[in-house]
Amino acid sequence: MNPAQKTIGDVLLKVENISLSFGGVKALTNISFEIREHEILAIIGPNGAGKSSMLNCINGFYHPQEGTITFKGQPRKQMRPHEAAKQGIARTFQNIALFKGMSTLDNIMTGRLLKMKSGLLSSAIYKGPAEKEQIEHREFCERIIDFLEIEAIRKVPVGRLPYGLQKRVELGRALAAEPTLLLLDEPMAGMNLEEKQDMCRFILDVNDEFGTTICLIEHDMGVVMDISDRIVVLDYGRKIGDGLPDEIKRNQAVIDAYLGVQH
Amino acid sequence: MSETLAAADGRDPLGRDTIPKFIAYNGQHRRDRPAMREKDLGIWQSWTWGEVAAKVRQLACGLAEAGFQRGDKLAIIGDNRPELYWSLAAVQSLGGIPVPIYQDSVADEVQYVIDHAEARFAIAENQEQVDKLLTIKDRLPRLKTIIYSDPRGLRHYNQPFLLSLETVMERGAAFEKANPGFYDAEMAKGSGSDVSIICYTSGTTGRPKGVMLSHDNVVRSATLAIAFDKINEDDEILAYLPLAWVGDNFISYAEAAIAGFCVNCPESGETVLSDLREIGPTYFFAPPRIFENLLTTVMIRIEDASAIKRRMFHYFIGVAKKVGRSILEGKPVALGDRLLYAIGDLLVYGPLKNVLGMSRLRLAYTAGEAIGPDIFDFFRALGINLKQLYGQTECTVYLCQQKDDDVRSDTVGPPAPGIELRIDEQTGEVLYRSPGVFVGYYKDEAATAEAKTPDGWVHTGDAGVFTDDGHLRIIDRAKDVGRLNDGSLFAPKYVENKLKFFPFIKEAVVFGHQRDYATAFINIDLGAVGSWAERNAIAYTSYADLAGRPEVYAQIKNCIEQVNRDLASDSSMAACQIRRFLILHKELDADDGELTRTRKVRRRIIAERYGELIEALYSDKQAVAVEAKITFEDGRTGTFKANLAIQGAETFIPMRKAG
Amino acid sequence: MMFFLEVLIGGLMAGVMYSLVALGFVLIFKASGVFNFAQGAMVLFAGLFFVGFMELGVPLLLSLLLTAAVMVLLAGVIERLVLRHLVNQEGIILFMATIGVSFFLDGFGQTIWGSNVRQLDVGIPTDPILLFDGDILIQSFDLYAALVAGVLLAILVVFQKTRIGRALRAVADDHQAAQSVGIPLNVIWVIVWSIAGLVALVAGVMWGSKLGVQPAIVSLALKALPVLILGGFTSVPGAIVGGLIIGAGEKLAEVYIGPLFGGGIENWFAYVLALGFLLIRPQGLFGERIIERV
Repeated sequence: MNPAQKTIGDVLLKVENISLSFGGVKALTNISFEIREHEILAIIGPNGAGKSSMLNCINGFYHPQEGTITFKGQPRKQMRPHEAAKQGIARTFQNIALFKGMSTLDNIMTGRLLKMKSGLLSSAIYKGPAEKEQIEHREFCERIIDFLEIEAIRKVPVGRLPYGLQKRVELGRALAAEPTLLLLDEPMAGMNLEEKQDMCRFILDVNDEFGTTICLIEHDMGVVMDISDRIVVLDYGRKIGDGLPDEIKRNQAVIDAYLGVQH
Repeated sequence: MSETLAAADGRDPLGRDTIPKFIAYNGQHRRDRPAMREKDLGIWQSWTWGEVAAKVRQLACGLAEAGFQRGDKLAIIGDNRPELYWSLAAVQSLGGIPVPIYQDSVADEVQYVIDHAEARFAIAENQEQVDKLLTIKDRLPRLKTIIYSDPRGLRHYNQPFLLSLETVMERGAAFEKANPGFYDAEMAKGSGSDVSIICYTSGTTGRPKGVMLSHDNVVRSATLAIAFDKINEDDEILAYLPLAWVGDNFISYAEAAIAGFCVNCPESGETVLSDLREIGPTYFFAPPRIFENLLTTVMIRIEDASAIKRRMFHYFIGVAKKVGRSILEGKPVALGDRLLYAIGDLLVYGPLKNVLGMSRLRLAYTAGEAIGPDIFDFFRALGINLKQLYGQTECTVYLCQQKDDDVRSDTVGPPAPGIELRIDEQTGEVLYRSPGVFVGYYKDEAATAEAKTPDGWVHTGDAGVFTDDGHLRIIDRAKDVGRLNDGSLFAPKYVENKLKFFPFIKEAVVFGHQRDYATAFINIDLGAVGSWAERNAIAYTSYADLAGRPEVYAQIKNCIEQVNRDLASDSSMAACQIRRFLILHKELDADDGELTRTRKVRRRIIAERYGELIEALYSDKQAVAVEAKITFEDGRTGTFKANLAIQGAETFIPMRKAG
Repeated sequence: MMFFLEVLIGGLMAGVMYSLVALGFVLIFKASGVFNFAQGAMVLFAGLFFVGFMELGVPLLLSLLLTAAVMVLLAGVIERLVLRHLVNQEGIILFMATIGVSFFLDGFGQTIWGSNVRQLDVGIPTDPILLFDGDILIQSFDLYAALVAGVLLAILVVFQKTRIGRALRAVADDHQAAQSVGIPLNVIWVIVWSIAGLVALVAGVMWGSKLGVQPAIVSLALKALPVLILGGFTSVPGAIVGGLIIGAGEKLAEVYIGPLFGGGIENWFAYVLALGFLLIRPQGLFGERIIERV
């Protein structure tokens, strides 16, 4: 029952001295940390600590004014989201961003868009190699559907699904891209206990079976302590802690931040 | 076809006396016909009989290689998966006994069954079931090997006693190569009198009992049932009811192997409805609850549809209710009605059946409990041949089956071919003798002796009566049946069920044992009666208030009189007509101990608590004062005072049913 | 009866012309959720450039290609200067932006090419065709217009099944999500606006041949609005069917109901029809039912 000790690899993504501000309001100040291959890293912090901004910087929605982000050894500046996706960064959103009019299957298939090789028009004619490729992609998506246990909603437009299932479909779409780094923005927000347990299991399984590196934001401390290998704590846009779950539990700055000690 | 025309005793003319022998036969003679399908990764994967026979052979060899001995038991736990069905056959061909376990059982229940059955081997569908077995493994010293079918999530499990099905199959293939002829010899050793399966039945009280069925029981019963309904190799079924239930083993395994039809396994428990639609089975079994749910779903969808569609639906359903059953049963129907029905079929019934996955359905059974006549008639009116059967695990599934041209909602049909039934004069209990009579309860001589009389009759525990034309009607559990003072049979649950089929009546308790006549407590259904009251501008303040309204009494009286009229039409039940009733001021509640958690009436407690009310029913009082202690939602208690009205209901003179 | 058929066919043919414009609207709306007010101006813009090239003596095919290039360039400019700065903004803001674009195109086109009515002849025959022994008369021009619309529709339907088609749908549904699965938003927008521009070119050529290239085309193109309401904003087939219904309805109403009002109802009948339709089926004939979980 004990998963074999997993091996955490080299640095996959390195954040150095990032600062981000919106019209003079500082969202992030001088933040540095790294994410290592195969690990599950949690970013936590009180509301407004800048967690989502941090994810948005990593996947290119925001461009920090200062600092560098190095992914797979290549420093980058001003990377756009679709370029980040091409390099292997997939993500889910705090407020669920699904293609509402499409079915579960179509959503997941769309997540696979980058993997589709056939030419622009050939796939329209559904013949030969294009058809074969299409079948392979479908099969891959079906494996994800099987993995996430969402067979029953395969053909249902996602707009009609309950919240917890939408979150699962969103995870499925991110997985379809076979990402190296998976960013999860509050994957368990608004879920009941059972849904949370399911989601935890999926996150751990993804990390274990596919070796995907995961960086997640989560509020539920129990969940965070249980599943993360390492935790980064932000408060008011600054990093106040970085370490193993046990270390974070004992970190005085973190305790103060959560108990609301005045700065 | 000739092979399905079996001898009257259900024995196979070709001498095949175990299911593995039928599968081996199919592997040769139906080699390329589909035997099983399973939806996996969104696609229906299929196996022919030739492939299934080979898989079974390989798995059996793999089990033998792993040390499985003649007489060993294999516990099987999981959803309806082809591999698990194969494991049934593999074990049986080695002379072992499969012990299927309900997949949603908690660890303790699983532990009891495996321990009691002394199983040395277990096969589990997936990680969930393996985890369950691992938590109890320490307490099961005999359990030696656990095989799992779906490896997902089990990669890091490295216990030496855990084997993947894939490994077992691979080793089986090697074993077979090294020992050609082993499998055939082992299979040939099996005989009809061997125990083929142990089905654990969840008794309402005490620990489950292991019902041992022989190969003869299963093969002969299934052969007779196949002949009765002309089931053949072109049929298709969806296997979605629990493997551990004797009925699934009977239909999806035994009947499938004997008749040679194709068994389809759904993708998962949640996809059954859409899988049903895709497969379109010809033969379908479901408990009443499922038919009820299907009907509710249809009705909800119709209420959401446009006004034109809604009208059309209701109009044609009306036509179907009028003539559908007669058309289905081949009775004369006026040409005009026939035409209307044909139009209805085109516009409503056809599309509806298609949505329900019932387009190709030619045989549907329901059993287990009483089905509401409205629900039953609805499906038959659509042209679906829905029938009832009655039976239990101990008789190998069935005792009575309804005939295609003589189907009623209130009887379970005449005794099926090959089955003798009699009703005990004293207790009203149904007893039977049949080829399906079980071997005994595993390791429980006492219980076996209690169930079986020395001359081979078996107690069903159910009380029943034969209608005047020979159909069996189950009225109650035998222990609940009583006598009125004039000596006639009194079956409270039978009457209560009839009352509860009315939407206004949520719960009913009928009294009459050792009384002069029958009386009833009624609980109204707040939802149904409440909305009726709203529509009719009847104001009410509370449940108790609504229950006491004279208008409501009039409605309930109406229901009771309909039931009385119905009871009067059956000479054996006519005495149970309800003379007087009252509507209770409160709902019977499991929290107050008046119902069990599964909503069964606790007669003793009700009789104690409401003794005064019962006495009033047997007096000539028109009302009775009640003072009740009630517990509010927040835990406070209070007293409730009211006068409950008691009303009489018209009763009818018993008459014999015409025809 | 024959007269009725003649009016009906004439109306349907006119409807095809509306459909051509409506198609451009639908494409952009589907892909970006933007109601492109500038579509009418784009039709004029394309027509002006085309006729301008022709008048300069450029051969027909080359003029077509050149104008197509202009439209693609225009799409790129609109993306670069307008849309890029409005990512993730409300639909209404983007709509306002397209009104701006509309005025710009209207003015800019006329600044370059002048505002005179210009005849355009691309060699489409205009002889009447007689059917049923001369009982029914249709314009062969209308027939060609229908043919062109049919080809265009076929191309667009096939296009929707391509990878880009899938990407377009994704972008239409959710910008953020589309970006996160690796769809480059700006490229998609250039593509969509280019296609809408090319559709505008086709419409411009057809309308121009029929009525001459003139600023009035802009307002005529707004007839596409009732077409969209009828057919649904998100449906390509809806744009076609909607166009046909509006065209036929308009003509029939003019002939049969018109006299009651003293004639001239053709100009506003379409809007009344659309208004009535809005009350019954707000999502249009083929539009997606708005599914929102509350």
